Amino acid sequence: MNKLALISALFFSVCGLSDLRLEIKKGTIDPINIAIYEINNKSNISKTIGDVLRGDLIRTGEFKIIDGIEIVQLFDEKSVFNFKGWKMLNLDYVVIPEIDFPDNSSVNLRYRVFDVVLEKEIRASKIFGLRSNLRQIGHFASDGIFESILGFPGVASTKIMYVNYSNFNDEETYKLFISDSDGFNRKLLLQSPYPIISPAWSPDSKEVAYVSFETGKASVYIQNVSTGRRNLVLKKNTQVSSPSWSPNGKFLAITIHEGGNPEIYILKLKDKSLTRLTNHYSIDTEANWSAKGNKIMFTSSRSGTPQLYEINLRSIGKNPKRITYEGDYNARGSYLPDGNGYVFVHRSSEGNFHIALKYRRESFARILTEARLDESPSVSPNGSMIVYAVSEDGINKLSILNINGAQFDLPSSEGMVREPAWSGLVR
Amino acid sequence: MLKISTKCMYFLQVSIIAFMLSACSSLKITDEIVPSDGVQGITISKKSKATQKILDSATIYFEYDSSRLSSESIKTLRDIVELMKTDKAMTLSLQGHADERGTREYNLALGQRRSESVSSYLIASGLSNSRMEAISYGEERPLILGSDESSWQKNRRVEIK
Repeated sequence: MNKLALISALFFSVCGLSDLRLEIKKGTIDPINIAIYEINNKSNISKTIGDVLRGDLIRTGEFKIIDGIEIVQLFDEKSVFNFKGWKMLNLDYVVIPEIDFPDNSSVNLRYRVFDVVLEKEIRASKIFGLRSNLRQIGHFASDGIFESILGFPGVASTKIMYVNYSNFNDEETYKLFISDSDGFNRKLLLQSPYPIISPAWSPDSKEVAYVSFETGKASVYIQNVSTGRRNLVLKKNTQVSSPSWSPNGKFLAITIHEGGNPEIYILKLKDKSLTRLTNHYSIDTEANWSAKGNKIMFTSSRSGTPQLYEINLRSIGKNPKRITYEGDYNARGSYLPDGNGYVFVHRSSEGNFHIALKYRRESFARILTEARLDESPSVSPNGSMIVYAVSEDGINKLSILNINGAQFDLPSSEGMVREPAWSGLVR
Repeated sequence: MLKISTKCMYFLQVSIIAFMLSACSSLKITDEIVPSDGVQGITISKKSKATQKILDSATIYFEYDSSRLSSESIKTLRDIVELMKTDKAMTLSLQGHADERGTREYNLALGQRRSESVSSYLIASGLSNSRMEAISYGEERPLILGSDESSWQKNRRVEIK
């Protein structure tokens, strides 16, 4: 699965009015050839689901959708699936979707996935959905197809949260949005005249934590996505920021800026008890919890410049281990879901800020982006993609790249979209 | 001619009866203290135009990734100390900021360090810490939009309000 240049896609939002839309900028070299039969029932519903499914598969960067499958009969003269015909189209995989409507509000989608080379059916699934949520049916199918071929889950059905900033006639508005991973279906979580930063999903993706300046200083809130109910997590006279959830959802790592000396604490959400994690006069902030829950990575300036450090939670109090040495600025690290590496913001020798990836087995960091001020990387829950913010000359936009992808160009776009956070798996 | 309304007559009668009743039973004697009019009011007045002018021009600037005060900043802060010693009621909000480079949370911490380093100087100069509040907006409230050194320089600051 070592594709070279894969996909880059761009989110953009025009003046905060339109939804984010992904725009595919670069195709795939050596993609998996896949063909999808048209859905049996010719209706707008079938078209919507089919379009979503195709768009999702293209955006993974792994697939090339081959047209013209309809000329190949489903079955050959022996009434078995027409592997010979599919091979002539040079296909690797074939998908046969079917739709039915059990009642006025429901839509069921069945799909079968065939491995053309091995001449066998590798998946037969049924998705029970609603007419009111057709796009998610397409996303679920795409994720199932992706998983059956690549062996790990797809993320088309996941969500992305981000902050949208606008300034009309000197009136600043900050909006916290959630959208589908393709930018559609945008929902407002919070609107405020005061800055909102550092949004973070709970592990079950039912709650979000973020920093709001509404009281005049930074404070961390937790908000339930479906009810809108929210709570201040810790009442403090000092600033509190940088929330990161533990994988079991019971704890929140936060930064408390006591007397200008930010330190990282673990807050037990049930009883609000605090455990201090760092103890140094330098800046310690931007905690990120590993997927197994046994480690926390954070940014510290204890060496004189911001670098990433790691604490093993079984040995709190011991000196944290420094894990970045490349250049004079490595910050806001987050673990890959498998724990084999981490992404972070790296300052190059030219003074530009890029998203970098470091595998534990390697002694060097891979620089993944090439704009001047890239920030806020967030890894998709299957570890295959990174969403991040590009900021330049007062323009903020989001971009997605495949983790195996080479560098890519970003087209110009309008809008102020920043601080993306990728949800967990929702299927 | 003295005219007394029926209502008044009624009240007079009740009073007389009450007096007679109390005279018959035990006499009730009470002590009461009327407190002084102890209301503590707070008046928030805008800082005078002259003061505001000094504060507006007293923005403290910093080097990249630094919260160290320059000798020029210290001169500015000395004026602030004098102002605070003259006007004993004056309080300050010290608002730290960072330029757009680097991560938002790191910059929030950096802005806080900057406002605290101003606050530390003022406290070391004999002012009470209760007269000032140090906060940070990180990179969220730039003074100048722009991605060049001249914009960044103006954004790495502590505003005194």
